[in-house]
Amino acid sequence: MKVSDMRRNNRRRDNCIGLLVATALVACPLAASAQAELNLPILVPITGFLSLEGTSQRNGALLAIKNAPSSVKITAEVTDTGSSPEGAVTALERSLSRGKVSAVAASMLGTQMLAMLPVALENKVPLATVSGTADITEKNNPYVFRFFPGDAVAKGAHVRYVLEELKKKRVALVYQTTAYGQSGRKHIVELLKKSGIEPVMEEALDVAVKDMSAVIGKVQAARPDVIMLHLHGGPSALFIKQAGAAKVNLPIVAGSGMSQPTTVALMEPAELKGLCAETNAAPVAGGSPQMDKFLAQYRAEFKSEPDGFAVGQYDATSMIIDVVAKGAKTPEDIRKALSGGSFKGLAMTYKSDGKGNMAHSAVIICYDGKTRMPKIVKRYD
Amino acid sequence: MNAVVRSVMGWSRSGIRPLFILGIILLALWPTLMTSAYQMRIFTIVGIYALLSLGYQFIFGHAGALSLTQGTFFGVGAYVTGILSVRYGLGGEFTVLLSIALPLALAALIAAPVLRLESHYFALATLGVGQVMLLVAISWQDLTGGANGLSGIPGLTLFGLEFGKGYGIMAVVWVCVAMGAFVSWRITRGLYGAALVISRENRIAALSIGIDTAQLRYAMFLLSAMFAGLAGALYAHTIRVVSPEALEFAIMVACLTITVVGGRTHIAGAILGAILIVNLPEWFRAMEKYYLIAYGIALLAMIVAAPYGLIGLLEQWRAKLLPEKPPAMPPAEPFIFVRAARSAAGPLLEIRDVHKHFGGLKALNGISLMVAPGQIFGLIGPNGSGKTTMLNVITGIYRADSGSVYLDGTDIHNKRSFVIAQSGIARTFQNINLVEEMSVLDNVAVARYGFDNAGLVQTFAAGRIDPAWKRARSNAMYVLEGLGVATVAQSAAGSLAYGLKRKVEIARALALEPRLLLLDEPAAGLNEGEQLDLADRLRAFARGGLAILVIEHNMPFLMPLAERMACLDYGDLIAEGTPAEIRANPLVIEAYLGTPEEKRA
Amino acid sequence: MLLQILANALALGAAYALLALGFVLILNATGAVNFAHGDMVMAGGYVAIAMGSVLQLPGALLLPLVVAVMALLGFVFSWFAYFPLKNRPPVSVFISTIALGIIFQNSANAIYGAAPRKGPPLLSEGNFGMGGITIGAQALGIVVVAIVLIVAQHLLLNRSGIGRKLRATAQDREMAEAVGIRVNRMIALTFALGSALAGAAGLMLSNTFFITPTDGTNYVIKAYIAVTIGGWGSLSGAVCGALIIALFEVLFPSLPLLIPPLKIIAPWLFTQTASTILLYVGLLAIMFFRPQGLFGETVQRRV
Repeated sequence: MKVSDMRRNNRRRDNCIGLLVATALVACPLAASAQAELNLPILVPITGFLSLEGTSQRNGALLAIKNAPSSVKITAEVTDTGSSPEGAVTALERSLSRGKVSAVAASMLGTQMLAMLPVALENKVPLATVSGTADITEKNNPYVFRFFPGDAVAKGAHVRYVLEELKKKRVALVYQTTAYGQSGRKHIVELLKKSGIEPVMEEALDVAVKDMSAVIGKVQAARPDVIMLHLHGGPSALFIKQAGAAKVNLPIVAGSGMSQPTTVALMEPAELKGLCAETNAAPVAGGSPQMDKFLAQYRAEFKSEPDGFAVGQYDATSMIIDVVAKGAKTPEDIRKALSGGSFKGLAMTYKSDGKGNMAHSAVIICYDGKTRMPKIVKRYD
Repeated sequence: MNAVVRSVMGWSRSGIRPLFILGIILLALWPTLMTSAYQMRIFTIVGIYALLSLGYQFIFGHAGALSLTQGTFFGVGAYVTGILSVRYGLGGEFTVLLSIALPLALAALIAAPVLRLESHYFALATLGVGQVMLLVAISWQDLTGGANGLSGIPGLTLFGLEFGKGYGIMAVVWVCVAMGAFVSWRITRGLYGAALVISRENRIAALSIGIDTAQLRYAMFLLSAMFAGLAGALYAHTIRVVSPEALEFAIMVACLTITVVGGRTHIAGAILGAILIVNLPEWFRAMEKYYLIAYGIALLAMIVAAPYGLIGLLEQWRAKLLPEKPPAMPPAEPFIFVRAARSAAGPLLEIRDVHKHFGGLKALNGISLMVAPGQIFGLIGPNGSGKTTMLNVITGIYRADSGSVYLDGTDIHNKRSFVIAQSGIARTFQNINLVEEMSVLDNVAVARYGFDNAGLVQTFAAGRIDPAWKRARSNAMYVLEGLGVATVAQSAAGSLAYGLKRKVEIARALALEPRLLLLDEPAAGLNEGEQLDLADRLRAFARGGLAILVIEHNMPFLMPLAERMACLDYGDLIAEGTPAEIRANPLVIEAYLGTPEEKRA
Repeated sequence: MLLQILANALALGAAYALLALGFVLILNATGAVNFAHGDMVMAGGYVAIAMGSVLQLPGALLLPLVVAVMALLGFVFSWFAYFPLKNRPPVSVFISTIALGIIFQNSANAIYGAAPRKGPPLLSEGNFGMGGITIGAQALGIVVVAIVLIVAQHLLLNRSGIGRKLRATAQDREMAEAVGIRVNRMIALTFALGSALAGAAGLMLSNTFFITPTDGTNYVIKAYIAVTIGGWGSLSGAVCGALIIALFEVLFPSLPLLIPPLKIIAPWLFTQTASTILLYVGLLAIMFFRPQGLFGETVQRRV
């Protein structure tokens, strides 16, 4: 089933704030056949320092539910996980105690996923996430599905673009001291090593570091020919802005943090000139009719710009709804369908590699300095 | 009335007992009603936070120091368990012990630079230690797994028995809570508990009766770290992952909140607080992202409305509904609180050439004095002449810039204040230093701290009732009788008239069995009859061998009492002699009545 | 190179000085640490963003408005966090401000979301070169505004009648009350003043460094450290402490650039993480050896 086939939905608008339960009401008089049921708790961080990403996840999932065919009766409760593993596990156990859970839209925070995995295994419930953390699909746990390029894929694209397209050899690498940063850095360094390259300079930054003049000075002193950033959104923007002020005239290839629309909004278009970034999917107009429709709907519904996490979680939720509509009844059915089938989503076609990695594509986007809208310059499948 | 102090003193045990028993029954019944893993997990986490808060009560409640490092000890405990069980496959019998030991070692290490700091510095220093540990945990990736942390922590096994999930880990956690509660109760009661109260409420007074307040604080800090480490270990086995979030400030805030909301010194407060704070987000789930705002409002409301926490509030209501009977007065147990000085030969107190400056101000300028055993020595001088400074130098609260102080031939100058008190110098204060919420009897009884071998271990090991505390109260009763104030023994010290408070302070000083008694304006607030009565009693003590140094402005009281006198003026000793000589000394007359302008020129 | 580093440190230090100053004013008046002070900075940033989007004015013109709104917020703040607790130990106020900080943070998160936002620039965002160093217009603006505000608050405290009353209240509340000063009013005013300074810092920092709802904790720790290093309760000490922290943060990790041999001897020592750890270690050392702060005088308390 294609995204464009999804029924437009005229039900009462489940408007975001304060909304607890988005229950898809029975509203299809034609499909008299037996209704498929789906209980899909949405367990994501909507408070704390990852609430931006978590809210994107939530919105993506809710939008997919809204667009679901009426033959599927969906119950979806949003529960905040905060940013601690404890919060995630508690939220999961809570959902499990409140009825038969079919599958879970789970947090993009790696440590929370790692904590939820054993509980999911024990209760045989599939988790669909957009976490990039490499580890989560390395635990031989058949219940995790990642609808987002893992570090291996994303950083593969990041490094290949730098080496193959830009043909750079002297890499300066600046990354964050968070799970996102450390895990990404590990893959970048390993991939560079395979090509016989060692970064000329590396530095880790805490998210609280605001004045980056010292690290920018060190980058310059190392005389690199390219800067690779693997920072969260805000720090990426700070680095690029301050590097611009310090007249650093080097190509910068940033991580997915830069591609978030909220990050781009922090910069003037001119400041973005020549900047490239890696991402799973660029929710940009003109990508495809489906994407355009998603963009319009998302903006109307949530009064904000979607990012890659929203797209990823939208696709993940859509695939789950799809397999349920096609007859998957139990969590085990859903798990089997997810691990065996493939699904054409907004960003790419998803298919498991046997470990639960569903996304195998990443794109490189670049900005031309005139608008905040990026262009896809390279796609790695 | 201060509920915290009262319950520590054990008065209200009888009153709160029905509530207490009801609470325990409810707690024990709760798990039997559980139907899901979720409820069990919540209850387990409640237990873990209760343990964390029980530990925090030692340093924050009993020692009264705002430590912001409890969350760090918790995180370190969790990391020790995580690292040892994931990387080395050690069983719970090792991981749990080491999770207690490492935070303990860390606490012992940082105590030296940090623990003596004043409150706001202490808070910042402990916050800084926590930040450093967090950065280390994130950066030392080979050991800690970095920001991702360590996953795959196995369930708890103890000596081959598994306590992996559900009832197993819940039972272990709550057994630990029960043991922790027992330890906390045993340690913070009795004479040791009273010493904790006075050290927290009035440090100077505690030092003056020979209590090593720093040592008490140190012990409380170490205990809090051990409890936090244990809670951290259990946490790691429950959540099965450990990540830097375990070290973050949010855990500290949760712990602080639980302790403030429940009650800072009540065992039941830690448990009730944990139940509330862990469940609050669960109850407020429906508010989605607004629930943390509600959480903040609830915390603020509690701080304002219930300064002693929920248990304090319950206690207040109970006191209103079922006023408690005053406990029976302990029988007075005689002991000899006035001892003759050991060597009658030399002077008991000898001060030689003591100088003390404050900035440019000369408070004491080369003072030398001697007080003989059994002698009553009067020290006079106008306001600001250095009399109280002299007392503070003798008792070690100030350190003299130069000179020396001998007690019975031993140099006590440069010794710490509580050591000087233990060696036989007791004092009273010009502006009274009693613990106002404590009863008169307890205020005096706590001075027996040094005599009955009271200490953390002894208090813990004693039976249901601390015998040392019982003896201390009986002794205190005897001293109060000796000063004729036994009738007010059960009143709160704060409720007494000024003159009575002075007498209670003298009683407390005497309970220390001093050789030298330093009195700072003892007659202030007494009427003429009371003054005569006090003078008679002081003379009787002196006849028993007690040396008394009296600072006084009230000449009709002092002149007949003192055998010798000295007069200070602007830090100089201007006269010394018998009362008659002093009275006739022109310098003294000038100091009191004379022409200050000329003098100062 | 060194000049550039010093310029960067000065711009950072000027903003830190404003927040440390507000922190120490409230500290002096109440004897309590305001742990929500960083969240006031954050609130100031969001107030500036909200006003900027409505009024479409540059930051320099918004500044008086933001300062006024934040002063009002400071009044309200004192009404909740301080006055109900004024007869309790300062620790109670410390905890109540932690609670208010939680409320501030999560309100900002609920209203604006967690995405970083950018506040309006004071005038423009350009850079200009001066004798081989580059200075942002915003950075220069921060230094100028900070100097103006610091001088203004100095004049207010030392040259005006109300300033004398504020200082008297901070020094000895009972004595101030005895001579007829309306102490509560003065304390509320101090909260307003401290909050206003925090708001000014928030307006400027939200442009330079953006703002997220959780930024406050980081800022209050900076203020806390600055005041401790400078000397508890000293206004000029707080400003000096703020400048020292900023200088350390910028200069220390840059040392290998100035002294290349360091890069070979101990590169690990000059990473951002190591320098943050060193900042705390240095702080502990200062507290241990000079508890009165670097610039404070020894005070012995009367018994």
